[in-house]
Amino acid sequence: MAKIQGKTKPSTAIPNASMSDIAFLLLIFFMVSTVFVKERGLKVILPQGKSIEKIPRKTATTIYVDRSGVISIDDFMVEIPMVRDIMIRKLYDDFNTIASFRSDRDTDYGTMSDILNQLREANALRVSFEAKMKR
Amino acid sequence: MKIRRKKKVLGEIPTSSTSDIAFLLLVFFLTTTKFDVKQGLGLVLPPPSQESAKRVRLQEDNIVRVLVNRDGRVALDEEELSYHELENRIRVMVRENPDLVISLRTDRQSRYRYMVEALDRLRSAGAEKISLSTN
Repeated sequence: MAKIQGKTKPSTAIPNASMSDIAFLLLIFFMVSTVFVKERGLKVILPQGKSIEKIPRKTATTIYVDRSGVISIDDFMVEIPMVRDIMIRKLYDDFNTIASFRSDRDTDYGTMSDILNQLREANALRVSFEAKMKR
Repeated sequence: MKIRRKKKVLGEIPTSSTSDIAFLLLVFFLTTTKFDVKQGLGLVLPPPSQESAKRVRLQEDNIVRVLVNRDGRVALDEEELSYHELENRIRVMVRENPDLVISLRTDRQSRYRYMVEALDRLRSAGAEKISLSTN
């Protein structure tokens, strides 16, 4: 009588030899594709606050003001009367622009007030004063 | 006598744990990477004064004046007090009158951090209607 051979079960193992390749590929992909915002700005020490909220980075135009009153927007040193025209242009590009002040805590308020008046004239009414969370 | 040949030992590097190393690196960078989040105190400025037709006359009872001088000392309706007291007093006032408008008047020679501190206290006290001015 002929011997009936039992069916051989197919192996169900998932090949995991290339797992490391996939992981390294992901790692390299994210390392290469990540782009960081490169704005040099000015060296400032921010004031501190408790009731601070997040500012959407995409719509924010950062205005740097250092302790000696130097103003920088988009890495260009500007004078106070130029702020109005710059902000009008920014608003034309994006209606939701928020002027975000990144000012040194020891800046004279007079300088800040003059810039705020320029913003009002440009109709850039949404402003934000950047601060660090008080611990 | 039969001389046995020495078996050549194959030099292999174990590669089974490279995926572990790769994932470990991936997880490490995922958890430790910190993005620079913009945080600050938001405010909406009043429109420029050319639109005087739109000006609204406020009742005297609905306005409270907060003054910050060049030394960082703060006064509420010409009564000097600490920042902590200011917060508590404003909290009570806002609770009693939700339409209360707070006029934050800062000296031009005052430092920016004093204005941010006062603004932060007003925000913490629940004040929504804040206007900025200077001398």
